[in-house]
Amino acid sequence: MMLGFLLAALLPGLYWDQGPKTADVVRQAGIDRVFVPAGQEGAWKTAGIDAQPFDASKFVKLPAPGVERRMNVAAATSMPWVNGNGWRINRDGRRQYYYDVRWRTAALAAAEAYVYGADAVVHPEPRDLTAFGQMLAFLKSVDQPALPVMANIAIIDDGSEETGEVLNLLSRRNLLYLIVRAPDTAYDLNVQIGTKDFPKDAALDPSAFATLVRQKLTDEKRLLRIYGSEVVLGKVNGDGQRLRVHLVNYGGGKVDGLRVRVRGTYQHGKLAAFGIKNPALADYEPADGATEFTIPEMGAYAVVDLEK
Amino acid sequence: MDRRTFLQATAAAPVALAASLHEDLPKYQIVSRYQPAAQPGMPGAYPGKVARVHAGKAIDEPSEKVDAPTVREMISQGMRALTGDADARDSWARFFNSADVVGIKVNCSGAPGIMSTPEVVGEIVRNLGVVGLKPNQIWIYERFQNQVASVHYDSFVPAGVHIWTAEHDRGSIAGYDPNTYVDVNFFGEEDTRSNMARVVTEHFTKIINVPNMKDHGAAGVTGCLKNIAYGSFSNVARSHSGFKTNTYSFIGTLASVEPLRSRTVLAIMDGLRGVWHGGPFSPSRKFRFYPKQMLFGTDPVSIDRLLLDVIDDKRKAEHATSVWDRSMAHIKSGRGYDNNPSVDRFVREPGHIEYASTLGLGVYEIDRIQVRKIEL
Repeated sequence: MMLGFLLAALLPGLYWDQGPKTADVVRQAGIDRVFVPAGQEGAWKTAGIDAQPFDASKFVKLPAPGVERRMNVAAATSMPWVNGNGWRINRDGRRQYYYDVRWRTAALAAAEAYVYGADAVVHPEPRDLTAFGQMLAFLKSVDQPALPVMANIAIIDDGSEETGEVLNLLSRRNLLYLIVRAPDTAYDLNVQIGTKDFPKDAALDPSAFATLVRQKLTDEKRLLRIYGSEVVLGKVNGDGQRLRVHLVNYGGGKVDGLRVRVRGTYQHGKLAAFGIKNPALADYEPADGATEFTIPEMGAYAVVDLEK
Repeated sequence: MDRRTFLQATAAAPVALAASLHEDLPKYQIVSRYQPAAQPGMPGAYPGKVARVHAGKAIDEPSEKVDAPTVREMISQGMRALTGDADARDSWARFFNSADVVGIKVNCSGAPGIMSTPEVVGEIVRNLGVVGLKPNQIWIYERFQNQVASVHYDSFVPAGVHIWTAEHDRGSIAGYDPNTYVDVNFFGEEDTRSNMARVVTEHFTKIINVPNMKDHGAAGVTGCLKNIAYGSFSNVARSHSGFKTNTYSFIGTLASVEPLRSRTVLAIMDGLRGVWHGGPFSPSRKFRFYPKQMLFGTDPVSIDRLLLDVIDDKRKAEHATSVWDRSMAHIKSGRGYDNNPSVDRFVREPGHIEYASTLGLGVYEIDRIQVRKIEL
């Protein structure tokens, strides 16, 4: 296990192209800063909303987050395929990212960008403005100085498509990794494609490769396990005394009961869950070098803060 | 050794014994804080003993109308034959008293075509009332809400009897006990836990298992063992992938987990209807048949051993492949299985019943099973 440092979290921005006449709607959504089509920023400022011109050429466009069903592709079973961008952002956190998302996905995109610390702008379907604003308000309410990112696996990224797909699969299986420049024995497992333990040929099947990584790491050592959903991906930050577990639900609906296991014994835990009133952890069990708890219900995003 | 590790080691002992006989089996980790009863419900008070009651007028085949008075008599005679009592009330009182909270594990996976017959369940509830249980001490339970909703058990039992399902929305784990589970990785799936239903661990003192007589594409047949095992745990369909299943060892392993094993004290196999192909589902009557019988016992292995012959004999009579057939020549993906009794979806694992016997769940050898036959 190793701690890697994350810069302060950013809140995603809104790209809004519905014109300054919708300023009241934007304001009602709790949003006071927007990206707008070039040339409109003056009118928006007149309407009382801080606006900057949006230049798509400066942003890397990300696929819409969510899930799709691909029988017998994602795994041996019919588990859904999660379209998550955490691995892309992990790969290059210095870029600026842009989401152009369909209805009912803007809040998820905002949560994903926040969790992975992306400098991102979201262009929602107009009907999603309220949900996007609610997510921004939720993110502000849970935001705190970032703790170091925690990972089991140090992986050297050669920039290839194969390694990208491996990163994708590791993310999808909640095998927490950090991209490093050289092997580091402080981690539970070092992965460098093209070595004896991880031959290049093996990476041609990213799913099998992720399974190989999991076998070598062992489930017992994993910092994070999630039970009860195949569409919730996690990220963990911590400093030894405190742990913050981010959980992003890509499924589109609510998850009814999610069991989480983290490595380390933490006596206290607190849940915040987007869209859920009075959320509280259930069946909290710190024991045997691990802590387990149940999230009774969650929407697009939940965050759990643990303390020793 | 800490508490959890101790409990795991205790619970895993019989599995470890069986696994030593089958070294290629998946590695199961059982986590439970429950200790076995002095005499676990399975195989219970009557290992190797089964009462079989057949009644020609139990169900009218064309209409599938059940004759409730005949069902009442079948259950009375079956229970008396199992226990040796002259009065059925005494038979029921051997298992249940007014302090119990009883779960009735119905099977609704083939509903509304085939399920634990409401008239049978109603008669079981009535007998529990006779020995002093109030309606609110009785729970009819199953995993999936949409299946149970199609049966309308509430029309056959007194008000106050609970009708409970673990998963109102498919895949939800809210109805399961996070501290009682089997952890196993079959095919690299991420969620490696199957948790026991909360009502089993937290509410019930006893369980009555009410399976049907059905063929099963993966397990070979589905009877007592599969109904109580796959019907009381979450996340079990993961045991099948491609043409291979792990039903051979998973069913018995789940059934052996405490407190399920100790609390399941009685099995009443409802064979008024049966399914000889396509099970556990029964969307049409094409593969339905009518054994018109019920089996009574405490030993799930012995009852299921008899079930194997019922299903295999019927399949032979219909010129279908045997439940024992493991030839890949008959296995096809797609929907051919639904209409062709010579097509299988998986390599069937009827050996799961014998495997369960190696976990101490009952008597498998046919010549050691004592069957008391009653014809009405």
